[in-house]
Amino acid sequence: MISALFASLLASGRPGFNRRVAEARRRYPGFDTAAFGSFLSTAADAVVSAVAAHAPDRAGPAALAVFDLALELTAHKHTGTLARQVWTDVAPHYASLLAQQPAVTLGMLTNAVLHMQKVRGVRVAEWLDWMAQLAPQTGTLQQLSVCGQICAWRAGMVHFRQGAIAAAEQLPEALALAAFGAIEGEWPVVRDALLRDPWWTPEAAVRKRAAAGIEVGSFTGFGGGFSEPPEVRPAQQGFWVRSGERHALLMADACGAVLHPASADEYAHPQPAVNATVIIEAGCVVLNGRRTPLDLPAEGLKVVCSTYAVALTSPYSHAIRVLPLR
Amino acid sequence: MPPFNLFQRISKAPTNPTAPPKPRQFDVADLYQGPLNVAHGEDATAAPLDEKLRQAYFWIVNNAIISPHYDIEYNRGPAQSYAVGDSKRALNLPSAQSYSSFVLLPLLTFATRRKCLFVGGPGRGKTASAILMGVLSGASVKQVKRAMQHGHPQMTVADLLGNPLPADLVNAQNMDDIRIAWRAWLGMRVKIIDEYNRIPPRTQSALLTLMGDNYAEVLNHIYECPDAAWYLTANDDQGGGTYEVIEALRDRIDVIVQALAFNPRFLGELLMRIEENLKPEELVPAEIIFTPEEVDRMVEQIRAVVVVPPPLRRRLEFFTSQFELLETAGGQFEYMTKDTARLSGFDWDQVVAADSGRDRLKDLGCQTRNGISVRNLMTLLMYAKALAYFRGNGEIELDDMRQVLPFVLHDKLQPDLDAPFFGLPENAAYRTDRISWLRRLFDLSNADYDRLDLDQHDPVGELAAQFEAGLDDLSERDVLARLNKIERHVSEQIKGRKLYGHLYDDLLKLKYLHQRYTNYLVWVRSQS
Repeated sequence: MISALFASLLASGRPGFNRRVAEARRRYPGFDTAAFGSFLSTAADAVVSAVAAHAPDRAGPAALAVFDLALELTAHKHTGTLARQVWTDVAPHYASLLAQQPAVTLGMLTNAVLHMQKVRGVRVAEWLDWMAQLAPQTGTLQQLSVCGQICAWRAGMVHFRQGAIAAAEQLPEALALAAFGAIEGEWPVVRDALLRDPWWTPEAAVRKRAAAGIEVGSFTGFGGGFSEPPEVRPAQQGFWVRSGERHALLMADACGAVLHPASADEYAHPQPAVNATVIIEAGCVVLNGRRTPLDLPAEGLKVVCSTYAVALTSPYSHAIRVLPLR
Repeated sequence: MPPFNLFQRISKAPTNPTAPPKPRQFDVADLYQGPLNVAHGEDATAAPLDEKLRQAYFWIVNNAIISPHYDIEYNRGPAQSYAVGDSKRALNLPSAQSYSSFVLLPLLTFATRRKCLFVGGPGRGKTASAILMGVLSGASVKQVKRAMQHGHPQMTVADLLGNPLPADLVNAQNMDDIRIAWRAWLGMRVKIIDEYNRIPPRTQSALLTLMGDNYAEVLNHIYECPDAAWYLTANDDQGGGTYEVIEALRDRIDVIVQALAFNPRFLGELLMRIEENLKPEELVPAEIIFTPEEVDRMVEQIRAVVVVPPPLRRRLEFFTSQFELLETAGGQFEYMTKDTARLSGFDWDQVVAADSGRDRLKDLGCQTRNGISVRNLMTLLMYAKALAYFRGNGEIELDDMRQVLPFVLHDKLQPDLDAPFFGLPENAAYRTDRISWLRRLFDLSNADYDRLDLDQHDPVGELAAQFEAGLDDLSERDVLARLNKIERHVSEQIKGRKLYGHLYDDLLKLKYLHQRYTNYLVWVRSQS
C-alpha cells in the first residue's frame, strides 16, 4: 500500500508522470506496468518516506527522481528482489544523501548491486548488510562510493582489490577501517598488510576460511562455468584458464575468486611459473610445509603456482581449487 | 518537471566490442556502471574521441534515423546469405558490426571536416541529417537552421557571402573603407547548403571558392572561414535542379550518400514522434556534442594514428592504375590517357572504337570514361582512415577501403555504359546502381591482383624499394647494374603482352627509376 505522502506527491504531478509512463511503454514494448506499480508502492515508497522523514522539503524532488529511476529499472526488467532490497533495506539508511542527490545515491547503490549480481560467486547479501551498517558514518557521496567499492571487494569482487585499497585513502581513518571490517588497528598498518598479501584481511574468520582454499567453477551442465575439466596457466593477476574452447582469467584472494573472459591469445602467453614446494600425499596437499586436505585423487592432479596462489586441477573435476601460496 | 531522459540516453556499453584487447585493468569505478545514469559532476569521465564518435553514430541510428539500412557490411567468420527474387540478388546477414552509410558517411565527414552531398527524393531525411550534424558541432538547432543556406534560382553572391554596408558604399574614398556585413553562416563549424543544385552558376562560382579555399571575397575584402564540415543536399545528384552544377564544384564534394527509402515497418516509430512531438535534433545528448578542439584532435588522430599498411596501399595503387590508360588517345607514351582524349574534345565513341586488341570485357579500364584524380585518392585515403578510426582500429583494413570507395568515387569515376561489361545481363543492375558497381570494380581489381600474385611477386615494387633505400655510396658499377636490371625488366614486361592499365603505370614507374639512376650516373661520373 502506497503511503499517503507519496500518493499525494504523485497526484500533484499526475499529467507529467503519466506522460513519462506512456513514453516508456511506447519505447519499451515489454514494459511491465504491473511490475512498475508494485515497485513504486513498495520500494520507491520506502525511499520517499525515508527522505520525507529526514528532510520533508526534499520529498518532492526525491519522488521525481525515484519515479524516473523506477521507470528505467522497469524498462530494463530490474525490479526484482535485489533492487527492492536495495531500495527498502539499504537506501533508507542514507536518507541524508538521498535528500541531497536522490538520483545519484540511489543509482549508485542499485547499479552496484546489479553489477555484482552478474558476477558468479559474489555475496551480494553481505554487501547489502555492510552498506547498511556503514551508513551512519558515511556523510558524502564520495564516501558512499568508496565504501561501496571496498565492500564489493570484501563480497568477492576480487578484481577490485587494488582499486578499493587505493580508494580507501580518501576516507577518514575510522571509516576506512570499518569498511574493511577491521575492529581495531591503524589504517596505514592495515593498508600495508592488505597490499603485502592478497590472502590477508583484517577479519580473522575470513582469513581462516581463505586458508582452506576456494573452489571455483563447476560443470556447465550443473550451472557452472566449465564444459570440460579446466587447465590452468600462471598469469600476472592469477591464472589463465582453458576449458574446451573457452578461456578465462581466474583471480582469487582472501575474499573469493572470480572468472573473467579471456582470449586464446592470452592463454597462449602465460607468466613464468613460481617455484614452490608442493607435495601431494594421500588426501592432502602440502604447500611449503602447510598441509591442506584434498578430496581429489592424486592421479592426473596438476598444481600450478602463480605469485600469490596455487591452482589445483584434476581430470576428475570441473572445478579449480585455489589455495594461498605463502 | 524536466523531460524524462529515456530518449536522450546513449549507450554506456562499449560500442565497438571488437576493438583490439588492451592491457587488463580493472577499474573499481565500474561497480557503479549499470542501467541507471549516475554521472555527476567530476565523476563523469570523458570517453575517448573514437568512442564518442561511435556513441554519436549509435545514438543517431537508434534514436534519430528511424529506419537505418545496414549497407556497409562487415563480416567476422561466415555470414548468412540468401539469393532473393528472379534476379537472385544477395541478401546478406552480416556476422560483424555493420553500418548505415546514410549516417556513417556524414559522421565521418564531420570527423574529418570534409564535404558530403546527400542525394535522394524529397522528404527522406537529407536536411534533417545535415541539421543533426550541425547540432553535433555544438550549435543549437536554431543556429543551425538559421545558418543553413537554401539554394534558389535568385540566390546572389551577396545572399551567400554578405553585403557591403550601404553607408560605406556612398561615403568610401577607396575600397578598403567599405565594410562588409559578412553572413553569419560563414563562421559555422558545420555548413549546410540545402538544394545546392538550385543555385545559379555565378553564385556557384563564389561557393566554389568558399568550399575549395575556405575563404570568401567581396570587394577585395577577405573573410577566412574556420575549418568546417560541409553538407549539401540535392534532390538528385545528376544536376537535375534548376541549374546544372559546375564540374569543379561537384569535384569539391568528397562523398555522396543516398537517402534510402523509408521502411513502413517502422511506421510505429513515426507515429510516436508525432504523438509525443519528439524532434531528435532537439534531443541530442550533451555527451555526444563535440567542441571545435575535440574535432581538431580527432582530425589529427585520424590523420596520424591510423596507418595504411603497404600491402593495402599496393592494392589501391593497382586499382587506381586500371583506369587512366587509353592507348589510342596519345602518340607519346605518357599521353596515352583518357584525360588526353577528354581535353581534345574528340568524340568519346570514336576514340573508344579505335581501341582494339584488348579484351574489353576483362579490362577494368574499359568500364570507365575517366581515371581517378589525386584529389579523389587523397579523399579515399582520408575516409578509409576515418572508418578504421571509427571502428577502433589503428590500421586500415581492406574492407574499410572497400566500403568507403564507392561513396568517394560515386560521382568521380564515370562509367562508360556502352562498355561490354554493362551489356552482360548479370551486370545490368550496375548501370543504375553506381555504389554496387564501384564495389564490384574494386573486388574485380583485387581478384586480378591476387591472380597476378602481386603480394608475393612484385618486381617493380622491389626495384622501387631498392631505390627508396637511397643512392648514397652507390658506385658507378652498381648503378649500371641497376639500370640494366630495369631495362631487362621492361623488355620482359612488354614481351608479347597487351598493354593494360597496371602495366602502363609499372612501365612509367620503371622509366622514372631509370631516369633517376641515369641522372645519378651522370653525377657519379662527373665526380670521378
